[in-house]
Amino acid sequence: MDRNWKQHLLMLPAFAVFVVFFVAPFIYFFVLSFWRVKLYKISPDFSFVNYGKAIERYVPIYQLTFSVAFAVAITCVVLGIIYAGVVRFKAGRWATLLTFIPLMTLFGGYLVKIYAWKTILGINGILNGALIRLGLTGEPLTALFYSPFAVAITLVYFLLPFAILPIYASMRSIEDIELDAARDLGASPWRRFSDIIVPRCRPGIVSAFIICFLLTVGDYVTPILVGGKISMIGNMITPQFGQKFDWPLGAAMSFVTLTLSVGFVVAFSLAMRLWRPR
Amino acid sequence: MINPIDSILRVLVAVLVLFLIGPFLLVTVFSFSDNPLSTFPLGEISLVWWREMLAHPRFYDALANSLIIAASVGTISAIIGTMAAISFAKMSNRRATTLISILCLPMMMPPLVLAVSLLSYYNALGVPLNLFTVIASHLLFTMPFVVLVTYARLATFDFTAVESARDLGATPLVAFVTITLPMIRPTIIGASLIATALSIDDFIITFFTIGQGNTLPTLVWGMIRTQLTPSVNAIGTVLIMISICSAFVALRLTKYRA
Repeated sequence: MDRNWKQHLLMLPAFAVFVVFFVAPFIYFFVLSFWRVKLYKISPDFSFVNYGKAIERYVPIYQLTFSVAFAVAITCVVLGIIYAGVVRFKAGRWATLLTFIPLMTLFGGYLVKIYAWKTILGINGILNGALIRLGLTGEPLTALFYSPFAVAITLVYFLLPFAILPIYASMRSIEDIELDAARDLGASPWRRFSDIIVPRCRPGIVSAFIICFLLTVGDYVTPILVGGKISMIGNMITPQFGQKFDWPLGAAMSFVTLTLSVGFVVAFSLAMRLWRPR
Repeated sequence: MINPIDSILRVLVAVLVLFLIGPFLLVTVFSFSDNPLSTFPLGEISLVWWREMLAHPRFYDALANSLIIAASVGTISAIIGTMAAISFAKMSNRRATTLISILCLPMMMPPLVLAVSLLSYYNALGVPLNLFTVIASHLLFTMPFVVLVTYARLATFDFTAVESARDLGATPLVAFVTITLPMIRPTIIGASLIATALSIDDFIITFFTIGQGNTLPTLVWGMIRTQLTPSVNAIGTVLIMISICSAFVALRLTKYRA
């Protein structure tokens, strides 16, 4: 018993860090969201004014943010299933290399990855350069590139490895023999996919969706670098902690965003439960 | 044997591979070209952007800060994370999984929310923002990785050798240092390198919790926002190299198979 008790002490530092730097800041941040800024000073209060502002002022921004996040997450999941599926079932001797690529591209500079897309999609970027040289356009296109589409493609690039890896991990538990048996019994490729692969990969698919969705919702760097005039909710939250100096409003906006995101993510995982073998 | 759907899927995967590694190659290639616009045609091979990077007045500070933060985060999260993993390994599987998923919560948060809540918290406590606040903040999302990887290794670890040492009179610490540690050392080093790579990579949380000063990512941010110079490509290549190399070594050491 004594030994056990000492063993449990070993996890104390980890939970101390967790409580002091995660739980406490989070609780304080929640309390802060009910405070007010008066005469350029943050003062304690209990008011829902911030939540009122956070919700009604930014409705179009939330719409855009969540549409982009949904599009990015779904695209990543679909591409992730295709990539993981080919690696798992078709790649043969290439499989090791092909699993290595998403693992490596997971690392290597969040900012650098977004910046790379600016050099591809920007006004003086590679795509514009190519289009001009091919004579397809006289002057650089900005409408096409500084757009929600550019934000989405950059985020898909950044997040695809986060989608491939969990989906591949759950695909590894599917045995070849199950699929062979289904085929021998006359199941079409689509039925094998829909009745065996998707249900068995559900945990991987759901976690891929959650990661991609949440990281997109919280991103504010991509819209600044490749979005042109596009603003997502992160671009509205950051100035509250800078030149606009309204931390309580920023906190309220963060909690509105978090709550909506959790709603979306729960809805998605419930929807995935409906996908059952016939 | 080869049907059309299969070949379409294979082509698609080839395109995805290009999509995943292409931008990395572009950044690296442009850092060696004298073209000031980062476009094709490439121009001559040149080290001008690398020289400009080395001549940048704030580059060395940023590099030093990045290395200090990454090394501290790697070391501290390896120690704390391994300690936690050891105590989880002695518990029932279910309890350990619950505790680990609690520790993983910060990874599920959008980094921006984590960053601004930490900023407000430090501000309310009157803690000055410096490298220490960055290191503490990074621990939140690096420690869970160390715990996950080390716990997975310990789950297959045979504790009989440790128990016989204990029966023969070794103190728990001696048994740990002479038996457990040497056996799980590669995993710990690997996990700590992953923590290092994540820390070097981080921009959002660093940006809000560093106060004055720069790390490589915040320096890159400043350069992208102000004057757009291709020496960003050179710094980008350095960042890519550091984090990919440490990740590569880490994956070899932890024998990670996807």
